Amino acid sequence: MITIKGLTKTIESTTLLNNVNLELAPGRILGVIGPSGNGKTTLLMCLCGLLPFEKGSITVGDRTLRAEQSEARSETLWMFRKKSGIVFQHLHLFPHLTVLGNITEAPVQVNGTPKAEAEREARALLEKLGIDQHRNKFPEELSGGEQQRVAILRALAMNPEVLLLDEPTSALDPMRSDDVRHLLKEFAATGHTVVIVSHSVRFLSGFADQLAFMGRSEIIEMNDTKELLENPSDPRTREFLHRSGLN
Amino acid sequence: MVRGQLFGCKNAVYFFIISNSPIEDSVNSKSPPPTKKLLLICSLLVINSLSAVARPVLRWGGDPSGGAPYVFADPANPQSYTGFDYEFAEALAQQMGMEAKFVPTDWESIVASLQRKEFEVIIDGFEPTEDRAREVLFSKPYYLFRLQVTTRRSDPRIKSLEDCKKLGIPVGTLVNCAASRLLESEGYKSVGYQDPVGAYQDLELGRVDAVLMDVAGEMFYARQNPKLKPVGEAFHTGAYVVGIRKADKELLAKVNTAIDSLADHGTTEKIFRKWQLWNDEQLSLRTSKPAEIKVTGTTLNWSEGLIKLSKAALVTILIAFGAMAIAVVLGVPLALGQSNGGKIISALCTVYIEFFRGTPVLVQLLFLYFGLPVIGLTLPGWLTAVIGLGLNYAAYESQIYRTAFQSVPARQWHVAYSLGMRPVQAFRRIIFPQAFRVALPPMTNDFVALFKDTSTAFAIAVWELATAYRELANATQSYLGIGLVVCCYYLAMSLPLAHYAHRLERKLQRKSTGIISSGADK
Repeated sequence: MITIKGLTKTIESTTLLNNVNLELAPGRILGVIGPSGNGKTTLLMCLCGLLPFEKGSITVGDRTLRAEQSEARSETLWMFRKKSGIVFQHLHLFPHLTVLGNITEAPVQVNGTPKAEAEREARALLEKLGIDQHRNKFPEELSGGEQQRVAILRALAMNPEVLLLDEPTSALDPMRSDDVRHLLKEFAATGHTVVIVSHSVRFLSGFADQLAFMGRSEIIEMNDTKELLENPSDPRTREFLHRSGLN
Repeated sequence: MVRGQLFGCKNAVYFFIISNSPIEDSVNSKSPPPTKKLLLICSLLVINSLSAVARPVLRWGGDPSGGAPYVFADPANPQSYTGFDYEFAEALAQQMGMEAKFVPTDWESIVASLQRKEFEVIIDGFEPTEDRAREVLFSKPYYLFRLQVTTRRSDPRIKSLEDCKKLGIPVGTLVNCAASRLLESEGYKSVGYQDPVGAYQDLELGRVDAVLMDVAGEMFYARQNPKLKPVGEAFHTGAYVVGIRKADKELLAKVNTAIDSLADHGTTEKIFRKWQLWNDEQLSLRTSKPAEIKVTGTTLNWSEGLIKLSKAALVTILIAFGAMAIAVVLGVPLALGQSNGGKIISALCTVYIEFFRGTPVLVQLLFLYFGLPVIGLTLPGWLTAVIGLGLNYAAYESQIYRTAFQSVPARQWHVAYSLGMRPVQAFRRIIFPQAFRVALPPMTNDFVALFKDTSTAFAIAVWELATAYRELANATQSYLGIGLVVCCYYLAMSLPLAHYAHRLERKLQRKSTGIISSGADK
C-alpha cells in the first residue's frame, strides 16, 4: 500500500515534483508513464527514501516518512527505506560480489539472516528465473537480461512491501519474458505493490493494473489501465498517447 | 653534448687548468699615483714574463658542510670559505707556484671524487688508512691529530672510551674516518654521522651518549658547549695528509717538497696557531717519515659485510613497513577531510597534502630530526624516519583514496541504502571493497617507492641499507661489487612485494574487472 500526500520536491528553485498525491492499494501493479524529464525517476527516488523532499508525506505499508524526516539520518529513515526495493535503470549490481553474494548481502548484513538460509532462499528465487547455474558468476559475466533478473532478485530478497522498477524495458526486454512477469505478478498477488516507470506504454498496457500519467512535475491523471488508455480525460494525456502510437 | 663534455674533460691537463685573468685580479680597486702606477706596470710586466702569463691551478677537494674548522663557509662572509685546511691549501698551492681552487665535495665519497678527477688533491683532515692506501697516494703528514671522547656533562657513567664498550653504549663518530675505523676494528658499537654538527647535536639531545672525534672538530664544535665535556686525555695519534691519485707521482713529489718548505718557513705553524690547534707534538713531523705513521684500517670481510648489509636491510624493511602503516591509516582521514570535511577542515587537509607533496622528503626528515628538538620533541633517528616518511606518504595515499572513492558510482550508495544498509555498513561492505580494487595498484607502486625512499634516512644518521652501502663501499672502494649486492637486497625486498600485490590484484580482478552497469540514471 502506498499513500503520497502533497509531495513537493525542488532542487535549486526548479520544481521537480509539485503537490503529488497518489493512493495505491496492495496487490496492484502501477505503471507510470509520461514524457522524460517530468519527474518520474524523482518520484521513485522519493518513494524509496533516497531523495529528501520539502513538503508532504509518503506512507508505505505501516511506515510514514514526513518531509522533515526525509533529510536527517535517523532510524525512521532507515526503517522507511526497508519498506521498498528499487531496481535502477542501469541496475548497479555490486561488481565485487557474485550473483549469490549480490542477493544475500543485504539479508545477511541488515537482517542478520544466517548465510546458509539466505543462500537457500536466494537459490529458490534464482531457480524460478532459471539462472541458478550462474550463481557463482560475477555480474560482468552475465548478459543484460540475466543482470536485470539478479537486480530484481536482489531487491526482492529483502522482502519489501513495494517494488519499484525504473525503466526496466530499456535495453533488452527480459521484462517481456514470462518468468519475470510471472514473478512480479506473483509478488503483487501476495499483497505487495509494484510501481514501474516506463516510456513503453505498449509494455505497460499488457502488464499494469493501473496507469498514472505524469505531466510536468505532477500526476495529471490516474486510472485503471484499460480506462486510461481508452478514455483519457486530460488533453495532455491524449496527446501523449497519440504520439506513443496508441490511440 | 654529454659525450663532448666527457671527451673534453678527458683531454684536459688534469692538474693544471689555465686561469683566465690572474693579473687583473691583483691590481684591483686602489689607484696609485702615476709614477708608482708606471712602476707597478713595469714590475707586473716582469712578473708576467716570469710566470708565463698565468699560474696553473691546483684543484683541491674538501667537504664544507659541517666542515669547521677544516674547511667551511665563512659565517662572516658566506660566499667564501675559510678553515685551517683552506688556509693550508692556499699556502701549499702558493708554495708550488700554483693557484688554489677549492672544489666542495662530499666527505664520504671524497676518494671516489678524486678518482673521477673532480680535483687533483684531497685536503680535508684526510688520514692515511690501509684501505685508502690501495686507492691513493699519501703525502707527508702536515699535521698530527688526536682523538677525543666527549659526553654530556650530566652523564657520570662514561670515564673513558673503554667504558662505552663495557656498558654497550654506541659511540657517535664521523663516517669514513680514522675514528670510525678505530671503533670498528676494536669492536665498538658506533653510529655514523655525515658531519660533526649532527653528532654533537645528537649527543646533546641524548640520541647518543658518547662521541669520538678528531680534536680539531671537538675543539670547534663541542669544547664551547656547556652541556658537553671531554672525557679523558686525547689519544691515538694520527696524521693529516694530502691525498693524490696513484698515477700522479710527480705531483706527489711537488706536494711533499712544498709541505716541507711550509713547515720549515713556519707557515704551517702560523696557520694552526691561528686556529689554536698547534702543539709541540707537531715538531716531530719535521723529523719523521710518512712510513712511520701508524696506519689504521680494515679490509672487507665479505661474510661480515653481508651480515652487516642484512642487518641494514632489516632496518630498511622495518622503516618501510612502519612508514607505510602510518601512511595507509593517516591517508583515510586526510582523504575524507579533504573531500567531505567542512571548509576549514578541507582547507587544512589540502595545506597538509600540498606541503608534504611539494617539499622534498629529505628536507622534511632533516626538519623533523633537527627542527623538532627546538620545541622539545626529540625522537630517535629511526622513529623520525618512520614518522617522516609516513607523514609524507600519507599525503600521496590520501589522493589515491580520494580518486578510488570517486570512481565508485554514487548509485552504489543508493542501492545499498535502498536495501536497508546503514552508512557504515554500506561503506564497509559495498563501497570500500570496490574502491580498494582501484586503489591497490597505485598503493603498491607507492610502497615500492617508499622502500627506495628509506635511503633518505641516511641523512639523519639512520643505519639502513643505503647508509651501509656508502659506508662499506667507501671503506673498501668497491662501489661496483657491493653496489650490485645492495641492489640485489633491494630487489629481494621489492620484487616479492610487487609479485604479491600483482597476485592480489589478479585475484580481485577475477572478481570482475569493471562496473558494467555504470553510468548515471536519468
